[in-house]
Amino acid sequence: MEHIKLHSFEDLKQYKSRILHSKKHAIPTVLVCGGTPCLAKGSRDVFEAFSLEFTKKGFAYDVAMEVKTTGCQGFCSKGPLVTIADKGIVYMEITPKHVPEIVEKTLIHGELIESLGYRDPRTNRMIAEFDKIPFYAHQKKLVLRDVGRIDPDSIDDYLVHEGYSAVCRALGMNAAEIIDMIEASGLRGRGGGGFSTGRKWRTCSSIENDIRYVICNGDEGDPGAFMDRSIMEGNPHAVIEGMIIGAYAIGSQYGYMYIRDEYPLAVENMRKAVETARDYGFLGKNILNSGFDFDIKITRGGGAFVCGESSALMKSIEGKVGEPRAKYIRSVERGLYDKPTVLNNVETWANVPLIILNGDGWYNKVGTEASAGTKVFSLAGKVVNTGLVEVPMGITIKEFVEEIGGGIPDGRNFKAVQTGGPSGGCIPASLQDLSIDFDSLTQAGSMMGSGGIIVMDEDSCMVDVAKYFVSFLAEECCGKCSPCRDGIPRMKRILEDITEGRGQDGDIEQLEEICEMLKHAALCGMGTSAPNPVLSTIRYFREEYEAHIRDKKCPAGVCKALITYSIDPETCNGCTACTNRCPQQCISGEPKQPHIIDTTNCIKCGICRDVCSFDAISVN
Amino acid sequence: MDKIKITIDGKQVECVRDQCVLEVALNAGIYIPSLCWHPEVKNSGGSCRVCLVEAHQEGRSRLVTACNFPVREGLEIITDSELVKRIRRQVLENMLTRKPDDKIIHEIAAKLEIKNLRVFENDQDDTWDACLACGLCVHVCEEIVGVCAISMLDRGFQKRPGTPYDKPSADCIGCGACAYVCPTQSIVMEDTGDIRKIWGREFKMICCSYCGKPYIPEAQVEWIVNKTGKERSYFDTCQDHRGM
Repeated sequence: MEHIKLHSFEDLKQYKSRILHSKKHAIPTVLVCGGTPCLAKGSRDVFEAFSLEFTKKGFAYDVAMEVKTTGCQGFCSKGPLVTIADKGIVYMEITPKHVPEIVEKTLIHGELIESLGYRDPRTNRMIAEFDKIPFYAHQKKLVLRDVGRIDPDSIDDYLVHEGYSAVCRALGMNAAEIIDMIEASGLRGRGGGGFSTGRKWRTCSSIENDIRYVICNGDEGDPGAFMDRSIMEGNPHAVIEGMIIGAYAIGSQYGYMYIRDEYPLAVENMRKAVETARDYGFLGKNILNSGFDFDIKITRGGGAFVCGESSALMKSIEGKVGEPRAKYIRSVERGLYDKPTVLNNVETWANVPLIILNGDGWYNKVGTEASAGTKVFSLAGKVVNTGLVEVPMGITIKEFVEEIGGGIPDGRNFKAVQTGGPSGGCIPASLQDLSIDFDSLTQAGSMMGSGGIIVMDEDSCMVDVAKYFVSFLAEECCGKCSPCRDGIPRMKRILEDITEGRGQDGDIEQLEEICEMLKHAALCGMGTSAPNPVLSTIRYFREEYEAHIRDKKCPAGVCKALITYSIDPETCNGCTACTNRCPQQCISGEPKQPHIIDTTNCIKCGICRDVCSFDAISVN
Repeated sequence: MDKIKITIDGKQVECVRDQCVLEVALNAGIYIPSLCWHPEVKNSGGSCRVCLVEAHQEGRSRLVTACNFPVREGLEIITDSELVKRIRRQVLENMLTRKPDDKIIHEIAAKLEIKNLRVFENDQDDTWDACLACGLCVHVCEEIVGVCAISMLDRGFQKRPGTPYDKPSADCIGCGACAYVCPTQSIVMEDTGDIRKIWGREFKMICCSYCGKPYIPEAQVEWIVNKTGKERSYFDTCQDHRGM
């Protein structure tokens, strides 16, 4: 459909009703997930197969069918996902060969194919109805509502789903009313800081200056986190809409969107969305005849983790080396190019249109009193269901891991969750009734961060986990201030010593001392929060550190220098499975006789243990 | 200019709003150690963290770096609380990881009467002497000299100043300002006869027509002449014998 530039609210209204009429409003609509994980698993071929099948079959029956690619539908571990919109059906692990059956049975005859649904590991039942699958049933999708439902490439599809209605409403309000509304909604920064978004906007708008900037932080760098990526890929216009409203509220004409360059699809979708929004007249001069000018420029990140820190990000936009600065004078006063700047992350911006449309009272009823709304998490680690999840704030860790995550696989026990990315902390299973909100996580020694959740079972060594995150931080430290530059490698070295059997009395105290220095003396948020992975594991798993240091043992059986593999002669039946797979050929024994491991050559890779069907191999 | 009053260690000091704590303290004769800050270089500071002090403001107290914390009416600074002393010691010891016998760090410790600095082992082999990677050299080159011949390279533990790709830089004028301001004297500059070696390049020096001493690289004179339009003959004599 030819679009025209929209010059007023009336234009937009008429245009929307025209799209609605011109579309035969195809029912059913097939939504093929086009998020990065599903694309990697071949969802593009599934989409092609549907298109082909529709041209073959669609005309033979009197059914209008439509297929479109959407953003992430969430259940990444079960991709490629196919949702049949309006029927509440989701099929998992779909390949092109399933397509004819889906078209014939579900689309034409309205039958449910349960075998393509989700297998509940507890009951072994197959479920294909969206709201009966525990992974989805316990979520509350507000920000992600349209991610996975609309085609991110089509602004018209966004418009049909109430897109840009919030901008229309906001442009009819005065700036102070919008700021009041955002503040009253209780929205707090989703990038991890948890600062009140409304208050940030208010301070910025109160600073005298003729130029102000708004920035969207899309430099999501935490390992295992993909919340912001999914929003940018799946519903880019919602982020743009949030930024337009924010810019209008604080009186800014210039927006920057800083996107991690390792997110090619997010960069592409965002760029297209900004261009179409400009073509339609949602960006540019005199937006919808309101007299308000605003445009967005996309900047791609250069790959440094620290550029997710707001002041480093601004330096990077300015074309300088991405290093943080002291924030004694905040960015709302003096930010990008020394002008007052509001920086919010992707998810925060995507929340804004929802609040404008539904009101602050609606928004702050969701979640807890101090942490309103929902939070998007990427769920990963030792858990049955992994993927993109949105839950109301205040859900407990237990609910999260057990209900949404489907528990721990292979009958293992739940040990801890790591939240908040590399500078977050570990929360033990004993605190599983803890509510997931900004303040509870901070009190427990971790943080909300941008929303990564990694589940760990009894096979995870907490010293090893701390070492992993500290190594990551040592690698990503910018090197500007001495506590971080020299202190984090010192911590890394001590943790390496402990995990490799060279731990000494006093190591824990030395770690604690370095942590204290970092907390008080490091320059930026990355440095001051770097102690979290170490301090939280010492706080909750001190005995594990002590076992490594004093007894030279790794209770979880992870640290290679401290473990040996052995075969229990009583249980081993001599099946030879381990002998055949051992890369060192250090397992010997006659078939049908108990085998033994020659520990001098053993590299402790654990393959023997994995292949043994009789649980005869143990780690000591 | 807004004149305001703050207290440092209980002593009332008059200063100008937005001045940094360190400058105010030094003017008032109160010692706060610092390495990476230079009063003439706007972007310097914030890196070495040895100037940490305790700031009390609006009912809140925290450690801040004196070199870039802006003063406001009613600010209260404590330079020697137990917390400041403990963290400052840790910061100095942490820096010694790079070069355990670093003179300047031991000097600061002595001035502050910190005894028995502990030295922690360091197994990273590519340390760059005692360089703090504070970037003062880079800021001087950019802000004061205006040539941008060096910048900070790499990151984290390996961060250090250098020329692009560590190759001799065509932009360098051999002025040596970087070596002059370096708080740890980590930048190697050698003058032998009328040849100066710095950053992998050799510079021919001009000798003073009065005393005969080589005193300024030709490249620097050329740069100043081009930039300011000053007579070349002005540089025939060194600053001590100009006009003689």
